[in-house]
Amino acid sequence: MTTTVNDVSNKNVIQWCPGCGDFGVLMSIKQALAGLNLNPKDVVIASGIGCSGKMPHYVKTYGLESIHGRSLAAATGVQLANPRLTVIAVGGDGDGYGIGLNHFIQSVRRNVKITYLVHNNMVYGLTKGQTAPTALKGTKTSSTPHGSIEMPINPIALAIAATGTFVARGFAGNLPHLSNLIKAGIQHKGFALIDIFQPCVTYNHDQTFDFYRQRTYDLQAQNWDTANHMEAYKKAWEWGDKIPIGIFYKEERPTYSDELPQDKDLPVALQNIDNVDITPLLNKYY
Amino acid sequence: MIDTINQKKEVGKMARNMISLKAGGPAGSGVFTIGAMFARSVQKAGLNVFYTADYPSLIKGGHNACYVRAEPNEVWSQISTIDILVAIDKVSVEKHFNELTHQGAIIFDSDNFDIKEVNLSSRPDILIFPVPMTTIGKEIGDRLFSNVVAIGAICALINHNLEKVYICLENQFGKKKSIGTSIVDNNKKAVKKGYDYIKEKFNVNFKISIEEVKADPTILLSGNEAASIGAIKAGLKVVAEYPMTPSSSILSFMAANEYNYNIVVKHTEDEIAAINMLCGSAMTGARSLTATSGGGFSLMTEAIGMAGLSETPLVIIESMRTGPSTGMPTYTEQSDLRFAIHASQGEFPRLICAPGDVDESFYETYKMFNLTDRTQTPGIILMDKHLSESSKSTKPFDTSKLKIERGKLMTYQQMENAKDFKRYLLTDDGISPRSVPGQPNGLYVSTSYEHYEDSFTNEESYMRIAQVEKRARKLNSITEDEIAPKFFGDKDADLTIVSWGSNKGMILEAMKWLSKEGLKVNFLQILWIVPFPVKKVTEILTKAKKTLMIEQNFDAQMKGLIREKTGIDIKNLLLKYDGRPLDPEEIYAKVKEVMAK
Repeated sequence: MTTTVNDVSNKNVIQWCPGCGDFGVLMSIKQALAGLNLNPKDVVIASGIGCSGKMPHYVKTYGLESIHGRSLAAATGVQLANPRLTVIAVGGDGDGYGIGLNHFIQSVRRNVKITYLVHNNMVYGLTKGQTAPTALKGTKTSSTPHGSIEMPINPIALAIAATGTFVARGFAGNLPHLSNLIKAGIQHKGFALIDIFQPCVTYNHDQTFDFYRQRTYDLQAQNWDTANHMEAYKKAWEWGDKIPIGIFYKEERPTYSDELPQDKDLPVALQNIDNVDITPLLNKYY
Repeated sequence: MIDTINQKKEVGKMARNMISLKAGGPAGSGVFTIGAMFARSVQKAGLNVFYTADYPSLIKGGHNACYVRAEPNEVWSQISTIDILVAIDKVSVEKHFNELTHQGAIIFDSDNFDIKEVNLSSRPDILIFPVPMTTIGKEIGDRLFSNVVAIGAICALINHNLEKVYICLENQFGKKKSIGTSIVDNNKKAVKKGYDYIKEKFNVNFKISIEEVKADPTILLSGNEAASIGAIKAGLKVVAEYPMTPSSSILSFMAANEYNYNIVVKHTEDEIAAINMLCGSAMTGARSLTATSGGGFSLMTEAIGMAGLSETPLVIIESMRTGPSTGMPTYTEQSDLRFAIHASQGEFPRLICAPGDVDESFYETYKMFNLTDRTQTPGIILMDKHLSESSKSTKPFDTSKLKIERGKLMTYQQMENAKDFKRYLLTDDGISPRSVPGQPNGLYVSTSYEHYEDSFTNEESYMRIAQVEKRARKLNSITEDEIAPKFFGDKDADLTIVSWGSNKGMILEAMKWLSKEGLKVNFLQILWIVPFPVKKVTEILTKAKKTLMIEQNFDAQMKGLIREKTGIDIKNLLLKYDGRPLDPEEIYAKVKEVMAK
């Protein structure tokens, strides 16, 4: 059987603004799943809350729409129970780098096999336009009318510092690039961060599709050395007229599940639990 | 000298095989080993044992005390008096000498302090046994052996067979290797030296002696251990937990057994991660558990609602400690009852039970996994520090009647031919079929959002109403028999005690004394709280002549719940909220007071 984009599409009414960058991410996910010929029943897409949180309803796979900031924790639970599944987590910048930041850093260092797609639009959309952890210093929003005072989080640098094994950036306005990136992320053995420039057409009038079209360039087109940890970290800070997208850093390391003998033969979720023998446990209490 | 005078005192009637003992000292001095090892050794002499510990939240210093009580018959709890006090430091004598029974004994480390510094003039009956434990320990090779010297000294005082201690030492240290002489041999030497020291220096004729009795084998374990084993028996596959006293030993128990029983055990970054991971692992079909105390439970509340709305079965052990906030982290309380019932916004069905002893910790934990699977909703096991961390001997668990029941969890075979599968199908019993990722024809989104039958986001009123009512119906699948309260004593009594949780043990102890005096008292133990066994509780309380509610909280939370559910208001209250477990003596006194009214 071959999986097509159609096979992972459903008829649910999409609730994003017309022109939203989320459509690009949605299509890229579908193309990646089809491109890798994954059976929809073996895929789980986990999300948190926000515009991105609706994603599981728009892809015909299993889904887990959790609560704000917790997509990675929920996705990790799926992965621990059955590492044979393909687990994709999606979230926004507020979801992943704000309320859920702890889970983000922990998941990176854990190298749990999850492809994490962050819809980074530098603003809170669904709550109607407040500042985000990735908003540039000085950004005026409804919660920072006098300009944001904080420095933005740099997710690429953060993931590299947290021993990330696959650290990449995509752009929702560059579908072929993004779907290939997601494919590479799914194929990666371990945690794959794909931070995605995903313009919010309603609340962010600075970082627009045009803004990124004019500035982004593909690291892989320049034969970027993805194995150099320190250079990748430096590259993560490049911002201005030229902004890199693509894979910054990549390394092979055992995944969290690789180190668990508990599910070597069969994922724990599939193991028979009918006749557990507790005699050995009780022996020490006699 | 005070010790020689005391030893020559005439000793009263000998008591066989009934002992109550306390060992005290700073944290890190090994007093818990004294208590635990001694407890295990008298269990091996055929006695029933209760063991508990009292300690502050620090690693070194402070004051730790552990308590052991052993008798030939079932021992349900501590009592407030002790026959022997083992004191590593002066504070232990000062704090506890007045708990000693007439002609009780103090064994203390004479290297650490001079007992003359403590004013014992009010208790000339107490027997004093100075033992240079530290010196003896050093002679064997390390002062760390000094606590084991104390065990030998206790044995000498009560003629307890050293072989029983040796077996415990072999079990405890047998596997550890050390350089030169083995740890086991050195510990045995320490026990023997402590024993010989007492036998040689003092002419002991203590009022209590231990003689081996023939008895059916028992197991001696804590509430946390019993609950952990219950969960493993229930087929536990994923544990995600953040350590928090008094639940932390569940995490380490599971971690120690993760390879033997194929359990994925994750020490998470926080309790929020723990419960959200469970929402993922349980959705994937793995029986999943977390354990925490009130603070961690507070962090979990949002995701408990998600489990409720997404209809995900998972189990949370909440071992209550003294709150609010940090409170008194290592002390007991039962003040999270209302919190557990209402935790998380909105309305959704949940299950709550409160085991009262180690047996119930095992059986009800097992049952909780079956019932959460049946009703596809989160279950909370409310324990308390006194239950979690106290050990009691009991009959080996009978697993012959235990059967795994997973409700409407679909098998791979069932799903192969499934058509138009709807995860949140509106059914008569409210319970919908549940597929798991990996199964064909079962795609759905496990969602925190209100939804249609197929799981897609819904905000229309007709479907909202239908789904709320569907979820609420699920608990009707549980019968009153499955959640029945327990009842102890004569039906026709002059007073009915009502209580829950670890108070059970102390109440049953008090009832032993009350019945010896011919007082007619019975006891209604609420075991399952949600759903609440309305019929049975109403039936019993309607017939009760006088009622007494006993709880470890200020607000009488269970009393309020009983009134809410049955309309019956229990007038007499015994409430305790100082962090210490009730003693049977307090219950005994309160019962007499109420009955005299």
